Amino acid sequence: MSFIHPLALLGLAAAAIPALLHLLQRRTPPELDFPPLRYLSEAERESARRLKLRHLLLLILRTALIVVIVLAAARPLVRVEGGGAHEPTALVVILDNSPSSGVVVDGRPILDRLRVAAHTSLARTTAADRVWLMLADGVVRGGSRETLLASAESTTAGWQRLDLVEAVERAARLVHAEPLPGREVHVLSDLQRTALAAGRADVPDGVRVLTLAPGRAVPNRGIASARVTEGAAIVEVTGSGAATAQPVPITIRIGRDRGASAARGLAALGAAVTVPLPAQSIASGWWTGEAALEPDELRADDRRPFVWRVAPPGRVTATPGAGPFVAAALAVLRDARRVGDGRDVVIGDIPSGARSVVQPPADPALVGQANRALAARGVPWRWGETGTPGPIVAPELAIIAGVQVTRRYRIQGAGSGERGEEGVLATVNGEPWLVRAGGVVLLGSRLDTAWTALPATPGFVPFLDALVNRIVAGEADVATGEGAPRVEFRTRGTDTIGATVFGPDPRESDLTPAPATVATAAFGGKGRAEVLEDARFASERFLGTRRADFSGVLLVLALLLAAAELGVATRTR
Amino acid sequence: MPAPVRLDLLDPAEVARLGGIEIVAEGVVEGFLAGLHRSPFRGFSVQFTEHRAYQPGDELRYLDWRILARSDRLFIKQFEEETNLRAMILVDASRSMAWRGTPERLTKRAYADRLAAALALILLRQRDATGLVTFDEQVRQVIPARVKTGQWTRLVRGLLDTPDGLGTAAHAALQRLTALLARRGMVVLLSDLLFDRDLALTALRYLRHRGHQVVVFHLMDPAEVELAGPPEVRFRDPESAVSVVVRPRELARAYADTVRREIAAWRTACRRHGIAYHHVQTDMPFGMALRLLT
Repeated sequence: MSFIHPLALLGLAAAAIPALLHLLQRRTPPELDFPPLRYLSEAERESARRLKLRHLLLLILRTALIVVIVLAAARPLVRVEGGGAHEPTALVVILDNSPSSGVVVDGRPILDRLRVAAHTSLARTTAADRVWLMLADGVVRGGSRETLLASAESTTAGWQRLDLVEAVERAARLVHAEPLPGREVHVLSDLQRTALAAGRADVPDGVRVLTLAPGRAVPNRGIASARVTEGAAIVEVTGSGAATAQPVPITIRIGRDRGASAARGLAALGAAVTVPLPAQSIASGWWTGEAALEPDELRADDRRPFVWRVAPPGRVTATPGAGPFVAAALAVLRDARRVGDGRDVVIGDIPSGARSVVQPPADPALVGQANRALAARGVPWRWGETGTPGPIVAPELAIIAGVQVTRRYRIQGAGSGERGEEGVLATVNGEPWLVRAGGVVLLGSRLDTAWTALPATPGFVPFLDALVNRIVAGEADVATGEGAPRVEFRTRGTDTIGATVFGPDPRESDLTPAPATVATAAFGGKGRAEVLEDARFASERFLGTRRADFSGVLLVLALLLAAAELGVATRTR
Repeated sequence: MPAPVRLDLLDPAEVARLGGIEIVAEGVVEGFLAGLHRSPFRGFSVQFTEHRAYQPGDELRYLDWRILARSDRLFIKQFEEETNLRAMILVDASRSMAWRGTPERLTKRAYADRLAAALALILLRQRDATGLVTFDEQVRQVIPARVKTGQWTRLVRGLLDTPDGLGTAAHAALQRLTALLARRGMVVLLSDLLFDRDLALTALRYLRHRGHQVVVFHLMDPAEVELAGPPEVRFRDPESAVSVVVRPRELARAYADTVRREIAAWRTACRRHGIAYHHVQTDMPFGMALRLLT
């Protein structure tokens, strides 16, 4: 039992008043002569037992009356099964307004249902509760009930993904730190399976995690990623539901600012589709585009912007040490105006010029000299011992992936010998084969068929193109971020030095809800967490601390006691 | 001509304010006798003794018609008593009798004195020999029963000369009376009967056994019948100084029951022994109390 106005309990001291009055009244009664005292004594003797009982009853009734009135004034809250108020509770309402909450089910966004549940939870709180509201941005919002209600009401589907396990753990820790009788976390989410990270939230004892069961799942398709490489847009489609098995049309729009042009393609769920870009997009400069799907129930992932930069043709010089294959490829590129003459980029077996593509010397005896030259340029990589043959692994350079390398030097970091993955563009047998440091690109093999099959492959010329125009010059800095689909450019002076592409997290496109058992386990396990349908969620809310205001019953009891006291007091026998 | 005021029917306290015992008693008796068609205390004497002037209230049957015819004057014939009626009035003068519930009322003693004086006057007018005994713990005054002139004055003085006593020892006083009342007659006891009932009844029964006609007036103040007072009060017995703290309101009904039982017990016991018992409250008009004897 708890009290809304516990200070009123100080009034319980007044319960001693009847006993005190009883004692004080007996101290000094007036004295009167009364001759027939024998009759009086006899009457008293006969009534002594009844009078004692009556006095005791009156004392009990009056004391109880005061106690009951004081208790009623303190507004006691008694644990009940049904409705009623609740004991002071620390509550965090997690309202998942991630992009997936915008999916329309049965004609209205699922966020509407979540918002109503959040409103009900917040509206049921009292001034004695401590309440917070957590949205998908992970920010815990405190404040008055009215403030939080307004926040919940004005919440719209956002662009940030919410890791529910992490959110529940944070919320549980927050309410656990509050010295209140009740501690609850209400999870109002579409409960995507992808929102439950691996692992399990550490929920302290005494914290109840109530999760609203997800509603009906709908199929969805979304663009997981879109990027441009080598003159083509690579778009990956993701989604959930049976209807996503069919390939879907994708529209690529390019150059919004320079007169839009479009390309189309078909993409299947989980596969990346390459859509060749129109010829004009080969021109140098920064380009933006957008991949879009036909609209479906979740609009947030139906389009995704992308950005790429086409560098101007590099002016390249190949030293004699570069070999015949390089010279031939450069001639092709020069004919295609992909490169020009000049010393912006020098290809050879020692670093020279501002930017160099360096391959190991054909003569092993010169390796040491070449390493010293690299050291003089401040390059933190060295050629080491010869390595084992193997295929090239290059996630970012699909055109050379899988090409066999028969001879190579191990590229090792200077000093400690290990430099991690920084600057590594391709590997062979897990060891760096193509690395970049500043303006120097280092190859583990010579571009010669005696070392690798690469010069004999169709991708050799594009590879060399990428090497001198893009890789050695430094990739355009394109970052990604969560947010409303858009592109933001970073500038330095008048130069654009990078861009950030915003869009929803691809995992938001998978609307598959987590089974109740999985969610329960992720949110602390049985005994702490429950996944409940709407009706049960409403009834279980604050159930652990639900209290009914008992003051009304006490006032009725006080009236009965007063009536009983009046009856006993006025009754003379 | 306005009807004369009958003092015997007025409030005793109001009547007492008119004057002393004599005046009150005479006024009461006059009113009482005027209201009677026939005296209940008419004696058995038939032998004429003397005449006296007619007074309003005298019965016309005793008017001497011969003198009226001769001299046109009114005279009443008086007769010598020939019966053995001797009345002895016993007045309890104990301390408890000097109590009244409110100042507006007479004390039981004052009421008893005036009632005794009135009764004596009636008896003496009938030529019944009337005596008086006052007592508390002991017998204070004994005036033997006589019928001679001036007896009533002596009786009244005996009442006035008896101060309020202390305790009550009715048994001893009544026992002494048995020796004084050698001849059979009427014994009228005026008391609040706040003494041991069995002992008192033993004495009264003895008187009855000796052939006396015994009449008991049980005097009570109305405040002794219905218990009232402050919410809580310490009541003290003025005779024994014993006290008890009570709440009159919660004990009122039990007390009233006890009083009713006590009165019923006295009445039953008296009836069993042939004793006339009358319960009289001090707010009862004297005429009503006298009427109890008819």
